[in-house]
Amino acid sequence: MTKFWLITLRECKERISQRGFWWMLVLGPLVVLLLLIGLLFAADQGKEKIKVLIADPGQIMEHKVLAQQEKYIEYYFLDSYLELNEFEQAKAYKDFDVLLELNEKVLNNKKCFVFYREQLSMDTRMQLKFEVERRIEEILANEFSALSAQAFRSIKQGLIFDFRDLDDPKNEAKETSSWTGFAIGAFILLFVGIYGMTIFRATVKEKSSRIVEVLLASVKPQQLMLGKITGIGLVALLQLFGWILFLSIGFWMLRQTLFVDLLDPSYWKGTAGVRLNPLSDLLFEELNYGFLFVHFLLFFVGSFFFYGALFSVLGARSAADSDGQQFLIPLLLLIVFGLVAGVFYIFYPASGSAQFLMYLPFSSPVLSMIQLTQGATLDAYMSILLSWMVLILSSVLLLWLASRWYKKSILKF
Amino acid sequence: MIQIEGVSKSYQRKLVLDDVSISLAQGQIFGLLGPNGAGKTTLIRMLNQMISPDTGHILYKGKPLIPSQLQTIGYLPEERGLYKNMEVEEHLLFLARLRGLSAPQARANVQHWLSHFDIESWRHKRIATLSKGMAQKVQFLAALVHEPELLILDEPLSGFDPMNVELIMNEIQALKEKGCTILLSTHNMKSVDEICDAAALLHQGRLLAQDSIWNLRSNSSKGEIIVRFEGHMLAFANALWTDFELTEQKQISEGRFECLLRIRGNRTVNDLMKSLQDQVAVERIEKRLPSMQEVFVDFISQKQQQHD
Repeated sequence: MTKFWLITLRECKERISQRGFWWMLVLGPLVVLLLLIGLLFAADQGKEKIKVLIADPGQIMEHKVLAQQEKYIEYYFLDSYLELNEFEQAKAYKDFDVLLELNEKVLNNKKCFVFYREQLSMDTRMQLKFEVERRIEEILANEFSALSAQAFRSIKQGLIFDFRDLDDPKNEAKETSSWTGFAIGAFILLFVGIYGMTIFRATVKEKSSRIVEVLLASVKPQQLMLGKITGIGLVALLQLFGWILFLSIGFWMLRQTLFVDLLDPSYWKGTAGVRLNPLSDLLFEELNYGFLFVHFLLFFVGSFFFYGALFSVLGARSAADSDGQQFLIPLLLLIVFGLVAGVFYIFYPASGSAQFLMYLPFSSPVLSMIQLTQGATLDAYMSILLSWMVLILSSVLLLWLASRWYKKSILKF
Repeated sequence: MIQIEGVSKSYQRKLVLDDVSISLAQGQIFGLLGPNGAGKTTLIRMLNQMISPDTGHILYKGKPLIPSQLQTIGYLPEERGLYKNMEVEEHLLFLARLRGLSAPQARANVQHWLSHFDIESWRHKRIATLSKGMAQKVQFLAALVHEPELLILDEPLSGFDPMNVELIMNEIQALKEKGCTILLSTHNMKSVDEICDAAALLHQGRLLAQDSIWNLRSNSSKGEIIVRFEGHMLAFANALWTDFELTEQKQISEGRFECLLRIRGNRTVNDLMKSLQDQVAVERIEKRLPSMQEVFVDFISQKQQQHD
């Protein structure tokens, strides 16, 4: 055990003493933050003109929205219902980007549907909601109370806007939460891929420099392999924690400086303080970060040992760095497969294949993260736990097999 | 100390060691000789427990090899490597700890060997900044930093300049005097002549010979005698008569010669001395033993001729 830790600590020390590690620790989160800033600025500036057709058969809105409305959203009214197919295909409606369906029950069920041709920016969505909701509030205040519109706003229940893609009108894909889960799962595979390559290179380097012959005179090949995977894994975790820390600090600084409103939860909740959009709900209400983090770690560790074993064997079988490159392609494709499986799961969550992919060690980290962000039921949670156990058992089995291949290959020059 | 008994090993149906039995005595410097591909590295890896024999077994101090015994074995492989990003002291400490030394013991040993080799100033040098010779020295230290009872050295002199060759040879001798058993695998036959007590000769996985260096050389002797004398060459040649064949002669100064003779029949050196005593003034006479280089070449040539 001492030898295993000596190998592990040496690996950690070597990686941490490299400048690249520290650069990556700072640059990685910085790049993510810059991308975030870019996206937020782009969202702010990308106000293309859109035409919204409000199908209002009950003429609830009385052909009015707000006196002072954003000029880049133009509203048109239709006093009847409109079939989706007709809106999608009829020449008369081709110029409209969005169909907002307000049925007669809207004043009771507070729900309206928004169908869009092209994905709407978050800013446009929020503006659209804001303007329509304010108008509905006026109507509700006038019709059902003696309160002023402002007083009514403080006590009312907001409208639920159900945004749907014309190509997916049933909204089967739980988009926002699913993609957030996908991003977290992709983050696991990204780190496993990057640090898996480090395991591969370190193994090849030890083999080509022949230090491995000195090491194997003192430690078992299994100890050497496992120590290397664990050491590099700990460095990956350290970097991951660093990223999370720096991103949190960066996020907080952005909120304090550049995007005071946009990153503030109260902005996302809207003035009425009720459900306004799924992303704000997800980020500030629904996601249990502690719970997610624990599962993230569990799946990260499982995946790291699973892929780490494969990268080690590949390194042990390669006589030189370039020699192994060709064999890396199938392994990297497996990581890509995990991501593709995640996308597949988002669109076809109930399919038999999706259930199978849930338990496949290559794809289970991504799929489990998607399920967790969607808010897993007890049954779903049990299947997540089961998939984690399958991942751990597969990792143990693969490590055992890999150590045998490693032993056979590492001394073949 | 070590008994290798009937050991065989195959890789992908190719027999690389065939029923090899070798014995090393405690405190001996034992040469493991053989051309490339003879099976030396395979045998050394078996001693280091990196691979296991297909058949046969190896006894270490009378007991089968077990992993804990690796702590008493030091190994300097032929193809050497070090972690280039580590510092000299850090690297030696790491390898000493892997060999089972406690942290304080490892620190004390590293300190001792660094000062013994007068390289304390290298302590914080990164391996990447060392010259090849300096790195070789660090590798040599790494093999003996845990003060092993058995030291396996595979081509320990390669890459060293003559000064350092001398240093390493002296160190090997000193280790022997302290009771360390040394297995020396080398192509440098001069070093075998100089420091080895015994040797084994491997060829194509088979053991061709194993004996003390003296016996190996004597047994390979072709009955040649070196004679140095003062006098007339003609008188010397006449005295030889038909019992000795003059194969080489050279004048070393005015009236002084050194000759190489080959004994014919059952004659001895004493017979030669009797024949010469009234003819020339003998300054030196000795039986010429072949060097280990010649022994090595003879054995391999004979084997190849048999094979052809």
